[in-house]
Amino acid sequence: MAAMLRILLINDTSKKVGRLRTALSEAGFEVIDESGLTIDLPTRVESVRPDVVLIDTESPSRDVMEQVVLVTRDQPRPIVMFTDEHDPGVMRQAIKSGVSAYIVEGIHAQRLQPIMDVAMARFESDQMLRSQLHARDQQLAERKRIELAKGMLMKMKDCNEEDAYTLMRRQAMSKQQKLIQVAEQIIAMNELLG
Amino acid sequence: MSDGLHMHSLAWVGGSDAPEKNALNIGYMPLTDCASMVVAATQGFGQPYGLTLNLRRQTSWAGINDKLLSGELDAAHSLYGMIYAIQLGISGAAATDMAILMGLNQNGQSINLSQPLKEAGVTSASALQQHAHQKGTKLTFAQTFPTGTHAMWLYYWLASQGIHPLQDVNSVIVPPPQMLAHLEAGRIDGFCVGEPWSAHAVEHGQGFTLTTSQAIWPDHPEKVLACTREFVEQNPNAARALVMSVLDASRFIEKSLENRRSTAQLLSCSEFLDAPLSSVEPRLLGEYCDGLGNRWHDAHSLRFHNNGATNFPYLSDGMWFLTQFRRWGLLREDPDYLAVTSQVQQTELYSAAATALNIPVPDTAIRSSRLLDGSVWNGADPAGYARSFTLHALNDH
Repeated sequence: MAAMLRILLINDTSKKVGRLRTALSEAGFEVIDESGLTIDLPTRVESVRPDVVLIDTESPSRDVMEQVVLVTRDQPRPIVMFTDEHDPGVMRQAIKSGVSAYIVEGIHAQRLQPIMDVAMARFESDQMLRSQLHARDQQLAERKRIELAKGMLMKMKDCNEEDAYTLMRRQAMSKQQKLIQVAEQIIAMNELLG
Repeated sequence: MSDGLHMHSLAWVGGSDAPEKNALNIGYMPLTDCASMVVAATQGFGQPYGLTLNLRRQTSWAGINDKLLSGELDAAHSLYGMIYAIQLGISGAAATDMAILMGLNQNGQSINLSQPLKEAGVTSASALQQHAHQKGTKLTFAQTFPTGTHAMWLYYWLASQGIHPLQDVNSVIVPPPQMLAHLEAGRIDGFCVGEPWSAHAVEHGQGFTLTTSQAIWPDHPEKVLACTREFVEQNPNAARALVMSVLDASRFIEKSLENRRSTAQLLSCSEFLDAPLSSVEPRLLGEYCDGLGNRWHDAHSLRFHNNGATNFPYLSDGMWFLTQFRRWGLLREDPDYLAVTSQVQQTELYSAAATALNIPVPDTAIRSSRLLDGSVWNGADPAGYARSFTLHALNDH
């Protein structure tokens, strides 16, 4: 029987990956909680020698792990779990779980499944799929509104199409808005002024 | 007139050139040089092609890697070298065929030193060289990704000053928005990063800008618009329409000073960079102050378009990163430089997109550049070039 996996749990975002600790311990894993500075992560990984590193998928410190991966190229090195599972389905599922796992080369990714299951159960609620808008319908509707506003502006300013677009875009950008928002404002103003 | 454009757009959408996907998820890191993607997505530049660009802000380059490979992102603002690291399998992810669709920007990154170094009089390259070679001091420099552009600029510059970047100093990774905090806390002595984070540190009185990336290599390649090869092969029309949208936006940004200013305003808002306008705008306009009292208008500041010269995915640009990977031991053997870059750089797709927008395309995919140490890079002998440097970490030299 394979030895118990030692997990280094990086806890550096608001997601509180550390909440996993108890659940993973109860599932029989040895868990080391790391909430120090991730700038020191390469040193920590070297001293703790974990089999698995778990980190919030959205943590900026993912890039520090990337350095660990490169520095340890000549030792059994941590790699992103997707390496063995070059299957977009598995990768999508792992990303959905909200934590990224780096496992030491040679450990079969299957052994990670219970860990990912625990993470998934913990974080599923954080990862509610955004409702997919009917992008194409919405986009066609937006285009019509932008065209309408552009026409109004050309009339008002007595300018050509390119100038009208430039005016609208410049206004939108300096107000930190999207083009469609400025288009709606022009239409509303035009209706008001009749 | 408006009907005319409308008809034209519909004809495009309905024809054989129609994008295979109408909505694309586009990843970016909150940096000033993501501007053309943000402008393209928010200001309707995809509309003529029936394309909606959904911007997805990311927190790490490693996250962009994963999401490009898993398909959660269709394309992303990426570090030039990083795409080659995925291609060659030297990062944490599996080797995967990648595609660079276009260059997003040139120039505009900086190397800063800390306030304590400034106060100790270490304000020039020669003073730094002396300081770095003193017994008992090992300075710590941060960059943003082990195979990224900032690592390569930092290494190149240090080496050009006689400082071995892998032996004479410590090298750590720090996410750009955290640079200032680490600098303030004295955990790092300097860093190489993209804007607005260098200007931001200077503005906060935390050190100074020692040199810029454009001083290392005027008009150097920097961020690219990248995706997997599979995405381009399955969605050639969407990929071309995406390039056209971003190209058109990059042209728009540089069309006038007013457009550049409003771009800075758009970027600074919390949804995108979440950084004060005062850190974003000056260097976006080419106005530099280094924190040592020097002010200048930089002739090679951040470029997004330059009539297409910024955007063409030169094979020689891609190869340069491979030569530096080789130089610093990230690649242990010479790859087939030209073959690898010819597959990754999507010169044909770019050329079709640029031509459709009346943007000139160069006659050759190789350009010649002179870097600050006088070395000339013209793509002719990449293996020889990689071995031509006094300081290196070649494993078999």
